[in-house]
Amino acid sequence: MSGAVDTVGFFDALATEMNDHPERFAPLGEAEMTVDVVMGRPGGDFRVRVAFESLGCTGVAEVDGQGSPGADFGLEGPLEAWQEMFDDVAAHGRATGPYTINSLALMGDRICCRGDDPMGLDKFSRFNQTLQEFLDGASHLVVGAS
Amino acid sequence: MVTTTEHTQSYPGLPTESPLGAPLDWAWLRGARSEWGVRPKPGPRGLTMLDIAVGSYGDVPEHPGHRSMAPRGADVGDDTADMGYILNWKTDMWSDNVIELYEEAVGRQWSATRDIPWGELRELPADVEHAMCQLCTLLTEVEMIAADLPAKWMWRMNHDFIEAKMFLCTQIMDEARHAEVFRKRALANGGGLLVSRAGPTSLLRTIIEAKTYTQASALLHLLGEGFVLDIFRMGELIAPSDVEKRIFRMCMQDEARHVAYGTMHLRYAIDHDPDVAEEIHEALDHGEQVLIDFGTAPDVSTALAVLLAGGVEHVEDKGFPLSMELTKKQLTSYLARCERAGLGRLDRTTIPLDMLGIDTEPIRAAGTAAPR
Repeated sequence: MSGAVDTVGFFDALATEMNDHPERFAPLGEAEMTVDVVMGRPGGDFRVRVAFESLGCTGVAEVDGQGSPGADFGLEGPLEAWQEMFDDVAAHGRATGPYTINSLALMGDRICCRGDDPMGLDKFSRFNQTLQEFLDGASHLVVGAS
Repeated sequence: MVTTTEHTQSYPGLPTESPLGAPLDWAWLRGARSEWGVRPKPGPRGLTMLDIAVGSYGDVPEHPGHRSMAPRGADVGDDTADMGYILNWKTDMWSDNVIELYEEAVGRQWSATRDIPWGELRELPADVEHAMCQLCTLLTEVEMIAADLPAKWMWRMNHDFIEAKMFLCTQIMDEARHAEVFRKRALANGGGLLVSRAGPTSLLRTIIEAKTYTQASALLHLLGEGFVLDIFRMGELIAPSDVEKRIFRMCMQDEARHVAYGTMHLRYAIDHDPDVAEEIHEALDHGEQVLIDFGTAPDVSTALAVLLAGGVEHVEDKGFPLSMELTKKQLTSYLARCERAGLGRLDRTTIPLDMLGIDTEPIRAAGTAAPR
């Protein structure tokens, strides 16, 4: 495992998991999106930008707190909410019930999907199952908070 | 640009007549007035339509000079048949994301037969099964409008806009699959198709009878499919089991592509011909009224509320309040997409925004979002 969920190392590990297993993503088809994941925590939020292209994850990079432009949409919530989601993934092999990213963003009370541009926001729907499969990759990692 | 004329040999000695005496044409070999040797390179995904949009082949004319089915970029004879196209301006159907969306659609096709875990369906309480079957009846009915509508207009579109027509072909396939998957779900778990009433039909007629393709696109892609997209997103709350959740998630991805095309088509049309905005507004003035009639139709609203409540017992304290939240999300998303398309509706719509508690600030912000 590559450390806690609020680290670049964790998302690097998810990217490696995706890139090592294209067979999981091929049935879903290619995806083109850039997502900012924001985890609120004491002492400063953790923000990481994850880029997807074709059947792979092509970039993971920590970004500053100013919401630098370039992402299609952002997924924002407290660290505890993200931790619960990844715990559910680890327990069941994939996100279940209220812990799918679509469920969480739909309710928006714990993790919300943000973006100024409806075209960017719609990519959350267009590539939703690819994003879910990427997050479900955590089932192959041991997860905890830093 | 290197043409075949400059790049070919004369090939002397070729016959001028076939063994049966028919005249032969060697122009394609001796030099056609088309570009030769562009050699597009495949990228990591393979050779995409974006990859081959190079040289003269990537130039999509604003107003093609002919109305034949000749492929764009070919050396077209003067005597080629006129196909009678009426949508001969790029602004009539183009969007800047249409080639990307075509590739996305091709790459993300799925099968309603194979990719849904039908074997995991379990028996549901009778009220929930009825509600699910009623929703599936409605969706089976309305999804095919998004196939019929492009089919009505595609044969009228100039063939030089082939990428837009190809994307609409994928939309037709998507909608066939949606009709298939909801029809299958209605029948697969011991239920069946239930009632079809006038509300949806009024909306469908409004869409299919739109006077122009751009008006039709506004009514279909922006209004109708945007509305259905949010129902699919709400599938997380509506679906009684993982089987239906899977159905809604897969349909959601398709529907979002169609909405993305429509939003950017309207943007393209308005950017290049601002006068078209008023005709779109007029269509949406009427369409919004019909959509509200559709959304509040007694059979639609009750089935959704029962599914959101998990049964009839909590339909009033849980189902209808959640349904109201869904409506707010639908209308907020719709109005934001209108802004993005360059169609500010906030000062024109008769949707009771205050009564519904819709916050207009994020909607206005969508109009100034950076293009992507």
